[in-house]
Amino acid sequence: MDAFSEELMGFVQKDNQVEASKDPVPEIHLPWLSQHIQSTGSHGQKGTNFAQTTSICLNFIQEALLKHQWQRASEFLQCYLQTLEDINSQKRQMAPEIIWKLGSTILYNHPKSNVETFSAFADRMKNIGVQNYLKISLQHALYLLHNGMVEDAYRNLNQAESWRYGEMSASQEKLIKLIQAYRGLLDYYTWSKKRTEVSSFDMDGFATNAATQDMHSYFRQASVNLHEIIKIPGVWDTFVKSYVEMLEFYGDQDGARQVLTDYAYDNNFPSNPNAHIYLYKFLKKEKAPEDKLISVLKILHQIVPSHKIMLEFHMLLKKSNKEEHHKLGLEVLLAILDFSGCTENITAWSYLAKYLKQIIKGKHREWVQEGWSSRKDWWPTFHFSYYLAKKNWKENRILALKKAFTSGILLGKVKHQKIILSSGVGRPMFESSFCLLLAE
Amino acid sequence: MDFPDNLFPTFFLPGPPGLSDSPASYLAPAWSDYMQLLKPPQTQDPSINPQHEASYVTKWGRWKSDTPGPLPFLLPGADPWDPELMSQDLLFRGRVKQPARAKATIDVIEQLNHFLWDHGDIAFGPLGMLLQENFNLGEKKKSRKNKMVMNTEWLLRDLNGYQPKGCPWAHLSTRQRRFSLLGGTVLGEEVENLLGGLLHEELETRWKRLLLDEASTGGALGWVPGAKPHHGQLVYPTGRAHDQLNFQKVKLSPTNEPQALGDPSHILLRGPVRQVVTRTIQGEALVAVRSDHHCALWKLEHRGPPEPLQVLEMEKEATGISLSPHLPGELAVCTRSGAVCLWSPQHGLQQIHKDPETFVFKDPSSWRWADFTAHPRVLTVADRTGLRFADARAPSDCGELLFRVGAEASCQRGERVLLAQYLGTPDPLPLSPTLHLVCTQFSLYLLDERLPLVPLLKWNHGLLSPPLLAQLLPPPYPEAPLPLLLGGLGGHLRMLHLSGLAAVVPPGCPSPTMLLFQLSAAGDVFYQRLWLQPDTSSESAGSPSTDHAEDLGLNSHSQTSATSSLGTVSEPSAVSWKPRAVACCRRWLKTLLQVPPTLPSWTPPTFSQHHLRWLKEENKGKVQEGLRAAMAEGRLLLQGDLAPLPPSDPPPAHEPFGTEDKLSERLEASWERKGAIWWDGQRDGSRLPRKRQSREKRRTQLSSSFSSVRSTSDFSDVNSPLPHPPKTPSPLHRMSETSQSLELSQELWVKNIPRERRQTLRDYLAVLPSPDSGNCSIPQFQNPSSQSLSTSEPGKCSVPCSQNPRTQTLFSPLPESYSAFYSQNPNSQSLYSQNPNSQSLYSPEPAFNSVFHSQNSSIQKLPSRHTPSLAGSQPLRKKPRMGF
Repeated sequence: MDAFSEELMGFVQKDNQVEASKDPVPEIHLPWLSQHIQSTGSHGQKGTNFAQTTSICLNFIQEALLKHQWQRASEFLQCYLQTLEDINSQKRQMAPEIIWKLGSTILYNHPKSNVETFSAFADRMKNIGVQNYLKISLQHALYLLHNGMVEDAYRNLNQAESWRYGEMSASQEKLIKLIQAYRGLLDYYTWSKKRTEVSSFDMDGFATNAATQDMHSYFRQASVNLHEIIKIPGVWDTFVKSYVEMLEFYGDQDGARQVLTDYAYDNNFPSNPNAHIYLYKFLKKEKAPEDKLISVLKILHQIVPSHKIMLEFHMLLKKSNKEEHHKLGLEVLLAILDFSGCTENITAWSYLAKYLKQIIKGKHREWVQEGWSSRKDWWPTFHFSYYLAKKNWKENRILALKKAFTSGILLGKVKHQKIILSSGVGRPMFESSFCLLLAE
Repeated sequence: MDFPDNLFPTFFLPGPPGLSDSPASYLAPAWSDYMQLLKPPQTQDPSINPQHEASYVTKWGRWKSDTPGPLPFLLPGADPWDPELMSQDLLFRGRVKQPARAKATIDVIEQLNHFLWDHGDIAFGPLGMLLQENFNLGEKKKSRKNKMVMNTEWLLRDLNGYQPKGCPWAHLSTRQRRFSLLGGTVLGEEVENLLGGLLHEELETRWKRLLLDEASTGGALGWVPGAKPHHGQLVYPTGRAHDQLNFQKVKLSPTNEPQALGDPSHILLRGPVRQVVTRTIQGEALVAVRSDHHCALWKLEHRGPPEPLQVLEMEKEATGISLSPHLPGELAVCTRSGAVCLWSPQHGLQQIHKDPETFVFKDPSSWRWADFTAHPRVLTVADRTGLRFADARAPSDCGELLFRVGAEASCQRGERVLLAQYLGTPDPLPLSPTLHLVCTQFSLYLLDERLPLVPLLKWNHGLLSPPLLAQLLPPPYPEAPLPLLLGGLGGHLRMLHLSGLAAVVPPGCPSPTMLLFQLSAAGDVFYQRLWLQPDTSSESAGSPSTDHAEDLGLNSHSQTSATSSLGTVSEPSAVSWKPRAVACCRRWLKTLLQVPPTLPSWTPPTFSQHHLRWLKEENKGKVQEGLRAAMAEGRLLLQGDLAPLPPSDPPPAHEPFGTEDKLSERLEASWERKGAIWWDGQRDGSRLPRKRQSREKRRTQLSSSFSSVRSTSDFSDVNSPLPHPPKTPSPLHRMSETSQSLELSQELWVKNIPRERRQTLRDYLAVLPSPDSGNCSIPQFQNPSSQSLSTSEPGKCSVPCSQNPRTQTLFSPLPESYSAFYSQNPNSQSLYSQNPNSQSLYSPEPAFNSVFHSQNSSIQKLPSRHTPSLAGSQPLRKKPRMGF
């Protein structure tokens, strides 16, 4: 009993958001717990009046935000600023971040807010405490970008990058890299603009030369920063694409390929289908051998079998000379149709119908059996049910025909079968749709 | 399926949750999250094409409500409802010595006090069994043969006048004093040790449930669209024990309020309904229901009663059930043992995952949740620490993680998964069918299964109660964002305890309308109509950048909106209660308030065994009847039951249910000096005060959770698959339990009872009616299901449930594990016989048995092993429950 009471006390002592490390850790830290306890009420004081008013105020702001009452929220926020002077040091430290989050949300949505107000607020908040300078700077820059103010955003990022305060923590270092990467991206935009300018210049000589020089310098600035960020695990689609585009422009094909390969195959990175697509498209543009292309898509097939590029993969495999590729070609098609989002993909069905015919002609019936064996227990209900046959026939006759043909092969039904119309589960589609066709 | 070409830049830094300064958290709340989903800067100069997306409000309008709050949809049920346990009930409320260091403490003494009063049989039963060998309740001569047996007759007589409740001035006889001195230490310790542990366990579970009632994850209100566009059915549980599943037909109207068509048809289940899942696939409407140890599946026909398809029984508590959005009838069930099973009509049960450990880091919670993915053979399994794929084609423990409570999603310390839901449906929605929703106590995450571990969206939901319900709705307009409803269990949206949430979009309305049905914890259904109001221009007139947080561009082509502001969308001044709504509320309240305010408070009984056993002969018949009636009704034996009522005696005060007619009837009867006869007639008609019934019902609910244990061991002699109903090991309530154990001992006594005990028993049994004598056997073995039926139809209490063709009764288990429910009702077929496929999720595992023994060992070591006793059924209780 004692242990439990202690545990309970641990609950109560806990602050609303902050967990003190020495308390026994409850199973789940619940934000509504403190309300539970407070509602019991009668044991001792609830806390200081200050803490009470700020917490009530915070609730009001959050409620107003949910109701999109921006004006009301902003009025309450003015009162909430007193948390900056909270005697509880933990709360005091958290305060600027909470205020920034609330305030930026309000200013982002308030009908009378404008960029100047937002910037003024951001500049003020940046300098309260040291913790949030970089975060707020980055968000500020993104806000400016969102409003199309590229130059201001660039200036802002530049400023943030040069900010120094004592030793940087590991996370701040990463944040600086992200800020630099965004700056690099803006450099890339400028580079991209210059490139179109240069290519449109008719005149030769000094002007072109200067423009090209200018362009190069932007490339150098951008590439340094972009190169840094894509070494850190993350999702960097835009950065990688921009970097590769510049490398390609300067003829560094090997470098570009290396970047893309690392981005796709580094295990520390999240499994991002786009990384594989970028690599595939690059190799395709490079006119890489088909085996190479197939190996890239084979990995993507294992990760995301439902990707739309899998149809292209199927055609590649079909064209290949190797028999194992032909076999994989069937599996790729079947795997696409496994997914609920692809059930009405006419291309996939017509590919499958055609390919099944081809395989059976080529005397590889065992491939079909192999692919079918893991699906025979659910495909009939999933694809070929009576309900779906009727629905497909009503909505898209071509699809219905393709499916009917495929089901005929897969389910091994003979034509002119006796018509059985019943709404049972798992009624093969072939029978019904075929009979509908005959009735036409 | 399309995958976005460009994803928003983000770090991917694995690590434990709570690294609050991790760079990933810089984009934590509100608009920055929404930024995350905006298209990243395009290749062309961003200044040329700044991404001004039209404001959500300008584009789609905003959901508004007709009324400031939800309106009652159905009249309140007949069952009274006591508010559930609150933290106040558990916490110590006395004066704290040092207010500065005030702490919440659980009031153990108060709880123990309650427990001893309410469950004396559990508390003192084992002691009784201990003493039984050496104490004699009043036999005169035979006991002298054995000097070890002591006659307690005088001790009992002394106790007769003793008023409990700890009066310090109570008179103590020498005998009592001696007894307490001799036995006190031993007996006291036993009670203390045993109860202390059990009470601790119980309080702990109660407290945890108070903080997070995880059993109700998913909600218990379902909507099944009907054949006609404006018709449908609500499926929800009612009853004190939430054990009556109702199917209420509803007619929707584009402009008026929804109408309930007739009375609901209902099915009585053996346990409380925790979750109701509905799904219509390929034209088949299915309802899956999760109870603690049973899951069941029904198919709804447009006409006729729901057709039961399958019942699964679980040894361990089921924590989640979900119906496949791809294949009709397929469902996934997960239990506290960490197992996830897939059941399909064709292939029966298949275990696809089993891991008692949590995925990411160690967490004590055994909560599991399973749902489907875009691939019909791949499931997601969730625990408190993350979400993982489980492939039904290759069952293994090592599927890929889809979500992890950690630094990748910039989770806070202590953050845990509370709900995981697959958002895809087979309907052609403008949303990729690969999205999954994960709710924690702080945030909502949206994940694409093709990009595991990297949330597409994180949104701080700010709910002050656990978000345990979520529903994605079809778009109000073509191409409009999909509303996503998120319901907290305890009132952040509604100030109502939500047990269920079902939203319906009636087709063919002039303006997009949404009907929001809510189920309260008391089992009442409420509704609220929301309609999409076109833009009010004042909002977006200011700057061009007034996007709202709801404008979440997803996957470049689809959008979803987290309508957090639902129910609170309207400005307070904008909406007011219309007279019609007020009238509706008033009607509802009137019905509700017909329940009497308070009944006289309970006082401890003062009759003594002495009076019971040494009654005069002429009174015996009356006493027999009274005792019999009391036992049948499962209530306390009152003085009035033992002695004949004086003819002019007024009926007890707590019978306020008689209508005016009854009152005059009664007055008339007493005028003619036939008041007692009239009164007896009323009592036999079992017009019980509602309070008592509800108490019984609660017991039913409590004891029903033990019955699965009973079924395997206690009643192992009942072997036939469909035993005769009166022999049914029904979930017993307390009083009939006693009668049953007496009944048992009557059968067994010849064999097992020591000779010196037999006389005592004979004496007892002489007082009791024989089980087969006359009409009393019916109430004595009355099944709890028919009792609860009588609750719903107060006028027809005596009608057995089989006469109600609309009621199917599914109740108590057979000893065989596969026959989870069966029906007593001749009209409804037995599920078992109808469905040979039915099977239990797990055959009784040795592991489970050992757990069971260890849980009971503390009690079982107490009763002597030599004799079966009056309280013989007690040790088989899995865990005593307390009525707080």
